[in-house]
Amino acid sequence: MLSDITIGQYYKAQSVVHRMDARMKLILTVLFIVIIFLCKNFFSLAVMFVLTAVSILVSRVPFRMFFKSLKPIIPIILITAALNIFYVKKGTELLSFWKISVTTGGLSTAFFMAVRIICLIMVSSLLTYTTVPTQLTDAIERLLSPLNVLHISVHTLAMMMTLALRFIPTLIEEIERITNAQKARGADFESGRFLERVKAMIPVLIPLFVSAFRRAYELSFAMTCRCYHGGEGRTRMKQMKLSAVDFAALGVFLLSLAGVIVLNRFFQAMI
Amino acid sequence: MKKGTEDVLLNNTPILSTEDLTYIYQKGTNSEVTAIQDVSVDILQGELVGIIGHTGSGKSTLIEHFNALKKGTSGRVLLDGSDIWADKSKIRSVRFRVGVCFQYPEYQLFEETVAKDIAFGPKNMGLSEEEVNRRVTDALTYVGLSQSYAEKSPFDLSGGEKRRVAIAGIMAMEPQVLVLDEPCAGLDPKGRATVLQMIASYRAKTGCTVLLVSHSMEDVAAIADRILVMNRAHVAFFDTVDAVFSHAEELQEMGLDIPRITQLMLSLREKGIDVPANLYTVQQAYDALRPRLKGGSRHAQ
Repeated sequence: MLSDITIGQYYKAQSVVHRMDARMKLILTVLFIVIIFLCKNFFSLAVMFVLTAVSILVSRVPFRMFFKSLKPIIPIILITAALNIFYVKKGTELLSFWKISVTTGGLSTAFFMAVRIICLIMVSSLLTYTTVPTQLTDAIERLLSPLNVLHISVHTLAMMMTLALRFIPTLIEEIERITNAQKARGADFESGRFLERVKAMIPVLIPLFVSAFRRAYELSFAMTCRCYHGGEGRTRMKQMKLSAVDFAALGVFLLSLAGVIVLNRFFQAMI
Repeated sequence: MKKGTEDVLLNNTPILSTEDLTYIYQKGTNSEVTAIQDVSVDILQGELVGIIGHTGSGKSTLIEHFNALKKGTSGRVLLDGSDIWADKSKIRSVRFRVGVCFQYPEYQLFEETVAKDIAFGPKNMGLSEEEVNRRVTDALTYVGLSQSYAEKSPFDLSGGEKRRVAIAGIMAMEPQVLVLDEPCAGLDPKGRATVLQMIASYRAKTGCTVLLVSHSMEDVAAIADRILVMNRAHVAFFDTVDAVFSHAEELQEMGLDIPRITQLMLSLREKGIDVPANLYTVQQAYDALRPRLKGGSRHAQ
């Protein structure tokens, strides 16, 4: 159950997407989100759908990985779809009973929204599948570095993020270990009502927090021992460099943006 | 053979058995790992078995099968002659009968007081309050902590004391079989001696069957009746301490730390001095070498 969590999971493969500069990937992901919200009809959405599909194919990350990251979102997709089906009243009425009616407009809006959410999830998981967490936080640090002018320590924030990501698997392992230990003492996590189940988690959560704090202390000592003093004057082993591939990818995304704008103009808006 | 060992082995009714137990991690993927393979052992009523093996030899996976935390990919686990997975609704009662204390158990303490933490297991068993209190008191005695510890916070204790409180938490369930995974890991020599002493006296008092997982031969040899040696997912040896130590050279090849005194005996044998290889205490070595030394000195005269 816990090992299904895919946030920040890197999928190792040799591909153009993996080789791209993390900063560019981050910018393109944000750009993608902006463009997909600009889409006003199925024609412009199709452009973004194709862009998503091509990106996934080029990345060489197997499709089942994307399905895995999509699985937890399915309820959200279904709920938004249901809301759209029942609340949007456009086009011809297909069926109606009591106060509820379903229209063609409602169905197509629901479909439109679902495709949009799926594309969003796919592209953002593509970012985490093809980028190592450290590179990703490094990229965030670089992109946000203008904020240093406002006396916000971007390096500290990025370091905190790196550490948080680094410790997710460790903590998951810890949860499994403590759960087993408490099960061995007869703890029951599977039965009982909601409140009882929440209570049953206490013997797991307390040791988990205790050990998380202990790890934090140990880590801070270890960092101090290696003379860590924040980002000032710190150089990097891996320098980030933009290459031709990055600009080519940017070109493709900008072209898609242009395509979406044009298609929005030429065809009737859906939403 | 150790005193008392014979009695235990003669009274040979198995309490916990495995039949061709196999467990494969991530079965069906290309990263399959066989943790244990075809393990068939009989643990007898009242004996103290030391389970040893190199890191990754499958000993921890094996004990997770004893209290039904893992279900074998194939094979069975029998407790008192009946399959523990026969009735899924009784899995919890299996865990009360086979008490497992995992590595570094001090990290599972969570209650405000030592007494409450020890009471967690017995309370889950649904015992009456008096019974729970009696067991907490007894468990504290078993691990050699005075009753004044009962109202202390477990987080204020020293590492060794926390370890003992955690072990008391399992003992308080009064399991028929007590399984301890590396109970001495990370303790100083004095702490190790205390814990081993505590386990031996607990067993003497209760007559409970004890399984002691360790990678230290020295610790296990001192108190075990029989030793189960795991090597690469298989059972390498399962015999009395003396019999297992007669394979001292093979044990060394498996990457196990045999006692220093046994190492010394082995190197004496290499030098052509005929001493038994299955010695594991200084006393035994003394007894074996004494006649020779006397003979030697007579020769010099």
